Amino acid sequence: MPQIIDTAVQVELSADGDPLAFVWDRFEHTVIGQPQAVFTRTRWWEDDGTPTRIDTELWRVDAARGTEEQHRYDLRHDADGTWVLSLDWG
Amino acid sequence: MSFPHLHVASAYSTHFGVSMPEALAAQAAADGATFLAITDRDGLYGAVKHVRACVAEGIAAGLGADLEVHDDDDLASLGRVVVLAHGGTAGRGYAALCRAVSSAHETTVRVPGRAPSIPRSRLAQLAGLSSLTVLLGPASDVGMAIERRDNTAARAHLADWLRLMPEQSVALEIVCHLAQPGTPGSVAPATRMLALAEHAQLPAVLSNAVRYGTPGEAVTADLADAARHLTPLAQLEHLQATRLQAMHLQVNGQAWLKPAAAMRQVARMVVDAGQHSDGALALLLRDTQDLADRCALDPATDIGLGRPRMPEAGVIGIIGDPLTELWARARHGVDDRYTRVGASAVHAAHERLAHEMATVESLGFASYFLTVARVADIVRGMGIRIQARGSGVGSVLNYALHTSSVEPISNGLLWERFLSPERQTLPDIDLDVESARRHDIYRTIFDTFGGDRVSLMSMTNAYRGRGAVRDAGLALGLPDTQVSTIAKQMWRFNARDFRAALADKPELADLAAEVAGSAQLGQLVDLTARLDRLPRHISVHPCGVILSDASLLDRTPVQASGMGLPMSQFDKHDMDPMGLIKLDILGVRMQSAMAHALEEHHRLTGEQIDLDRVPLDDPATYELIRSTRTLGIFQLESPGQMELVGKLQPEVFNDLTVEISLFRPGPMQNNMPLTYLRARHGEVAPDYIHPRFESILRETKGVVIFHEQVMRLFDELTGCGLGYADVLRRHLGKPAQLPVIEAYVREHAALRGFVAGTVDRIWTVLAGFGSFGFAKAHGAAFALPTYQSAWLKTHHPAPFLAGLLTHDPGMWPKDLLVAEARVLGVPVLGLDVQKSGLDYRVEAVGETGQGIRMPLLELSGSSDAERARIVRHQPFSSLQDFRDRVHPRGRTFEALARVGALDSFIGHDRTRRHELLAHIQSLRGTAVVINDDQLAFEVPLPVLDYSGARFTAVTSLQLRGRTQSDLELLDTGLAVSGHRMRKYYPLFADLGVTPASELATLPGGTEVLLAGVRRATNTPPMRGGRRVVFVSLDDGTGPVSNVVFFHDAQERIGGGIFQTDLMLVRGRTRRSGARGVSVTGEDMWDLVAVAKERAKARARAAKAARAAALLDQEATEQEAAAQGAAVQGATGDGVPGTVVAGRDSRADPATATGPHPRRQVASGTAAFDLWSTRSA
Repeated sequence: MPQIIDTAVQVELSADGDPLAFVWDRFEHTVIGQPQAVFTRTRWWEDDGTPTRIDTELWRVDAARGTEEQHRYDLRHDADGTWVLSLDWG
Repeated sequence: MSFPHLHVASAYSTHFGVSMPEALAAQAAADGATFLAITDRDGLYGAVKHVRACVAEGIAAGLGADLEVHDDDDLASLGRVVVLAHGGTAGRGYAALCRAVSSAHETTVRVPGRAPSIPRSRLAQLAGLSSLTVLLGPASDVGMAIERRDNTAARAHLADWLRLMPEQSVALEIVCHLAQPGTPGSVAPATRMLALAEHAQLPAVLSNAVRYGTPGEAVTADLADAARHLTPLAQLEHLQATRLQAMHLQVNGQAWLKPAAAMRQVARMVVDAGQHSDGALALLLRDTQDLADRCALDPATDIGLGRPRMPEAGVIGIIGDPLTELWARARHGVDDRYTRVGASAVHAAHERLAHEMATVESLGFASYFLTVARVADIVRGMGIRIQARGSGVGSVLNYALHTSSVEPISNGLLWERFLSPERQTLPDIDLDVESARRHDIYRTIFDTFGGDRVSLMSMTNAYRGRGAVRDAGLALGLPDTQVSTIAKQMWRFNARDFRAALADKPELADLAAEVAGSAQLGQLVDLTARLDRLPRHISVHPCGVILSDASLLDRTPVQASGMGLPMSQFDKHDMDPMGLIKLDILGVRMQSAMAHALEEHHRLTGEQIDLDRVPLDDPATYELIRSTRTLGIFQLESPGQMELVGKLQPEVFNDLTVEISLFRPGPMQNNMPLTYLRARHGEVAPDYIHPRFESILRETKGVVIFHEQVMRLFDELTGCGLGYADVLRRHLGKPAQLPVIEAYVREHAALRGFVAGTVDRIWTVLAGFGSFGFAKAHGAAFALPTYQSAWLKTHHPAPFLAGLLTHDPGMWPKDLLVAEARVLGVPVLGLDVQKSGLDYRVEAVGETGQGIRMPLLELSGSSDAERARIVRHQPFSSLQDFRDRVHPRGRTFEALARVGALDSFIGHDRTRRHELLAHIQSLRGTAVVINDDQLAFEVPLPVLDYSGARFTAVTSLQLRGRTQSDLELLDTGLAVSGHRMRKYYPLFADLGVTPASELATLPGGTEVLLAGVRRATNTPPMRGGRRVVFVSLDDGTGPVSNVVFFHDAQERIGGGIFQTDLMLVRGRTRRSGARGVSVTGEDMWDLVAVAKERAKARARAAKAARAAALLDQEATEQEAAAQGAAVQGATGDGVPGTVVAGRDSRADPATATGPHPRRQVASGTAAFDLWSTRSA
């Protein structure tokens, strides 16, 4: 069962913009392998105002804290630039 | 490291792409790209703009098209592919691309109802010789099979492609929009496509199937999708959820022009998601770059940018060197044109010709002039009137070649306004022709030059306020009525400034409050602003014809236009860069009207008039113009022009040029007409600022009106030469350039002896001139048909009005033209099946008179076929004969009877129309069809049987109580037998209404009553900002009286000012100049209501009089006499202005608020006897 985290985190990016690592709960989590980004469209016409984006950006990464076993996480990248650790898939 | 985008739709992929080519190229260059391709859907609509933008940005341009392909045998769609042209092929790749696009559009003609689509065999043929690369991506049959995980089908489809296409012409396109797993655009199908390429050993290239530059524009692309499918977004999403894939929303907002780093990210994700060899990532990026390198087009050698291509010598009818030929023709033309003017004129013309030819030679445009002259010859050869317009009229060369018919030297027109070494764009000559023959001309040009050298030009229609708000409202799913209400308020501001307009404009206050209270309306405002100015659709340009050599179809793709002739996908902005000669051949209705007049004159009298040789100094013509009776005269017939003509009082041809040039928004807003008129009429001395400017400004009394004057002033101030002066003039319109020009002018003017004070003053004039004004060449070209139409109206009113009525060139309704004809003493003869033709014909009336016969066309509801049969079988021996040969439909038959078109069968006895109608209505069964060569059965006219006492009682409800005018208006909209106001003339006499024709005799400030039918309403924008309403009233006595309602009167009158058609107005005369008069309206009534009240009051008075007479039989003689006088007065026989019927009726506006002019009451006599003579 995925665990809902929903916490803003610091993310370190590669030159091309891939997440390399993120800091959660004071611990650095290192991304392993090629992370995959997924963009999902919104029903923006049901909201107030005109959006600058019509989709949400989510990165599914495999990451590990130090030498611990790797987990799969969902990192959400919001339009304002903040990164949110939304799910821990275990 | 940069990334080359190979698949990009620009905003010219209408309702699909949303970014302009210039923005895309700038964005790519800013990201460090060295290459960018544009691949618009179904065409190269944005291609030229893209190539020019890339040149400006210093990057290589690629071109392609996103095309549907179909199987040759069963026409089955093979999906969409991207066709890219190879560069470095001396234009072979680009030509193949043009031909491929044209071929796709041919399918829409061959298979009606089919969208553009190219047969695969044709694509294969064009891709030969390594001209093209075809990208099979997600929208191709291969990609769609991959998407549904059908690898077998994908391989089979790919095998088909590889079997049919030339070697190395196919690559697979990998597109991944990072969509959710399981949806199109996710990594899985992309990685499977990559695997297929590896398996087939084909190159795979990465693209982003771009639809917009930035992620923020994805919203606009959503709007485009909604507009393309005519479906609200919410509904589109629902359809998508139900897997109806024909219509769908974009999966997300990732189809943007991603920078290189983001594209490499995508590539890594795609490669990582599947099982690929180690070098797969590098190979994908390298193959993409390799293809971009092959597709980089050289603007000059591949596309032919900047190289003019004229039709080949043979096609324009010359042998040998075009320049030599042009010289010969021009010299001959000068002698022909100027010899009758005099030796010095010939000499001056030859000198000017040499000057012009030097420029033509240095620019290499000889073929161009010969081509235009050839087209003018073709048009004249067809017997069609033609008139050059625009700056080309300033050229002696064009005049000598008979391309233009305005003499440039005596009119002060400049060659440099048209062409100079400083101005290297292809020149522009516009030809005005008879509108009714324009399509014939196009076809003849296609036939003469050949379909491979000629194409029509297209134009891009962009979103404006109303269209934008409608499509934005559609996308949001707002109710139609709500969107329409808002759309109606979208005017006089740009949609992209919608928010600002809501804040600023008082008339939008209600809407602004609504928007503030609704999130959805807030979205609507923002989305409308996003759509504004985006290309919406392309259509055929109203007058542009492209002429080139036989390579034309290798340089522009064409598609069918509405009229069937091929149309280039390039618009007017693309012509010059592509070296395409464009001729504007514009249909002008006035030319058709004048041609009709000349034909009619010739038909009646046998005399041929050469209108172009009529002397331009006929006193009677100017007298007519000065009288302001300019209805129907080209350019001078609007109420505003009538007023200006009255003030200006033209005497010579140049006055007409000035008049037309003054009546433009720029000069009007700058009060130039007033300044000019005061100097012209000697109220103030002309201000020439400096004696050295006098010769330049004398013709306009010191007011700078013409471009030519600005050029001469620059030349006089700086000595820069007229060519450079025109460059300076153009830059006056750009505020940023003003300081540069000013510095230049000041520096040189000082050297040439002008003191600072003079320069200050003239610079203020020049800087204020801005981009206003008018080329005098243009004004003079307009003045010619103005003079010609005035000359025809003066000397041949009947044929001229027949021409106007047939071709309807002006702003006024035809019924007013009919009224004008009557005033001019030209009777308009009613419809008559024996005589009426298909257009207005002139008929001899009496010994010397001429009348105009109404054509059958004016009978509303009649069919083409019926009218053609009537004309073919005229005349008819009897009603029976008419019915048998024409076999009209019942309603047409009855309408003809009602208006009197069948009166010849009842001995022109109007009273028998009742019988005629009754007879026609009683007819049953079908008419006997008679062959053309057979005589009709001469059955006695059945109407004769309806004689005798029994039938005198026959009345038809359709006729009862209706005047002939009423009937005519009902069935034809034109009152020819008498003016529709005529039945009110007794009332006018009674009320003391001033006839329109008499207005000019009254002094200013006279209080008057006017009445008539509304013929025009204008609400021009005013400097003060407050709306002014101009209403033109026609009472049948003169052209029209123009009434101005200012703000206070508008408030008093309310909606009636726009809604009442027959009106009674009280106002005061306002004199403007010698012959100009208009009326300031103070109050207004509905004429019909006034007439009814009057009739009621009269009836009441009569009844009271009778009752009084009955009651008091023994009244004294004195009393009886008094009563008699009252009755007589009330029935309208009394002296106008002295009788007020129904004095007790406060409801009657004619009495309660008193539309009686005091002047009338005071004078106590009938001021105008027009009403009585005309109503008799």
